[in-house]
Amino acid sequence: MIGPACVAWAVARREFSSFFRIPLGWIIIAVFSLFAAAIFCSMTLRSGQVATMRAVFAWAGWLLWPLVPAVSMRLLAEEYRTGTIEPLMTSPAGDYAVVVGKFAGAMAFVACLIAPTLVLVAVLAALSSPAPDAGPILAGYLAILLTGSLYLSLGLLASSLTNNQTLAYLLAFFGILGVLTLPQIALSAVPPNASWDWARTTLASLNVNARIVDFARGVIDLSHVTFFITTSAVLVLLAGVGLESRRWR
Amino acid sequence: MLVVDRVHKSFGKHAAVRGVSFDLPRGQVVGLLGPNGAGKTTTIRMITGFLPPDQGRVLVDGHDTLDDSAAARRSIGYLPESAPLYPEMSVRGYLEYRGRLFAMPRRARKVAVDRALTRCWLSEVADRRIGHLSKGYKQRVGLASALLHDPPVVILDEPSNGLDPTQISETRRLIAELGQTHTLLISSHILPEVERTCTRVVIIIRGVVRADGTPSDLIARGTGPARITLEVRTADDSLLRGTLGSIPGLSFGSAVPTADGWSSVTLLQQSGTDAREAVAASCAAKGIPLRALARERSTLEGVFLSLLESGEAREASA
Repeated sequence: MIGPACVAWAVARREFSSFFRIPLGWIIIAVFSLFAAAIFCSMTLRSGQVATMRAVFAWAGWLLWPLVPAVSMRLLAEEYRTGTIEPLMTSPAGDYAVVVGKFAGAMAFVACLIAPTLVLVAVLAALSSPAPDAGPILAGYLAILLTGSLYLSLGLLASSLTNNQTLAYLLAFFGILGVLTLPQIALSAVPPNASWDWARTTLASLNVNARIVDFARGVIDLSHVTFFITTSAVLVLLAGVGLESRRWR
Repeated sequence: MLVVDRVHKSFGKHAAVRGVSFDLPRGQVVGLLGPNGAGKTTTIRMITGFLPPDQGRVLVDGHDTLDDSAAARRSIGYLPESAPLYPEMSVRGYLEYRGRLFAMPRRARKVAVDRALTRCWLSEVADRRIGHLSKGYKQRVGLASALLHDPPVVILDEPSNGLDPTQISETRRLIAELGQTHTLLISSHILPEVERTCTRVVIIIRGVVRADGTPSDLIARGTGPARITLEVRTADDSLLRGTLGSIPGLSFGSAVPTADGWSSVTLLQQSGTDAREAVAASCAAKGIPLRALARERSTLEGVFLSLLESGEAREASA
């Protein structure tokens, strides 16, 4: 590995391991696991129910909403506050390599956050007959990861704009709320005549909830995958601009 | 090795640095002095590439900090003031991380980490969490990370911060050792420390370089008055004033009687060459017994304070 990739790898490694050295990381994992298990027990693990993880996946997006900003809030805001940004940015690390590394490290943590739910899949497989269909489960995990990636990139952008972690959390929290609700609210306000079809199409394409529901049903639509990856990439890029702008402010 | 060429930096309407220029050849240990808010840290941040200059340029080992930023940063080892670190990491883990940021291969990184740990007296705490270390140890971790990639230019912002006297003496030795092979820029408030460790001093006041030279040159050029003290066997104040106050360039300070019947006299020499010979000759001519005569050496601190006062007076009159 050379240059930016090497820097991004170094930053990602440090970021990922740091979550397991602070209580916050373990608390976030515990809260997610607890709620996921509660949803599984109350909505899936009932006699006569179809053996799917659909309920857990459908709720996972809502569970990640308050938890992912807690992961992302410290990514850059903490570096600004403690001054560690200075030795970091005076190393050969480029701004964009740093944000990519931060995102990758935190994304690996989000994957670890979701990993305990595999125990629920194992329980479902052990208790249900016939065995649950693997397709929707894989699609569900892909949906959670893509949703987590979207939330995380939004949180990284928020964290790049302030040295206050609480403010970074709130910006990300309400930013995600906006992403989840604004397209639907706007859609309801669009006049029903044909000349506004373009607006309806655009707003429908921005509807994250509909995409998550599709995934939970086991549908892996390439346009959905492209939407999440592209949006996350743009937000990470904007976080790079946020970091870079501190040099000029 | 390091060229700072007419750099300017403003934050809003406040001009923090106004046309600072100096250059550091290889192997020179230079002290950057200035009161708080003088523009030292802003200048250092422009040298390290953390802040871009509004005007002017900085070259580190031939690399422009704007056009060839990564190469310039690779040539610098930097210890920021208060040594910001990650408390949850171990000392060795942090140095390994820094090595990865500088794209050091695994084997070279291990050798460099072990060398930095030994050099900065950290081997015994290598596996301890940084958050559990004392301020002095944290400072040394910051120093070790600055030296890790063996850069040709090392910039230390207040390197003696939080260190005990033994550690300060060890740091002084390390700086002297580094000065043999590296170019060092040290920002410090401890003037005797700078006088002792640096071969050259740059004084910045209100964003402008006000003095640049070796400590002895600056002291020799110092604008403050030199003090001449003598002990004479007379308590006659008017005789002393008449005899010593009439010597050109000297003004009479004070005469304090001592317990054994002598007087301790202080004279202030505003300018000119050493007046001790003239003082001795005047005392002999008037038949005043003289048993001690000394000229107090000016210090860098005196020069610094004098420059500071003249700078403030200039700002006030502007």
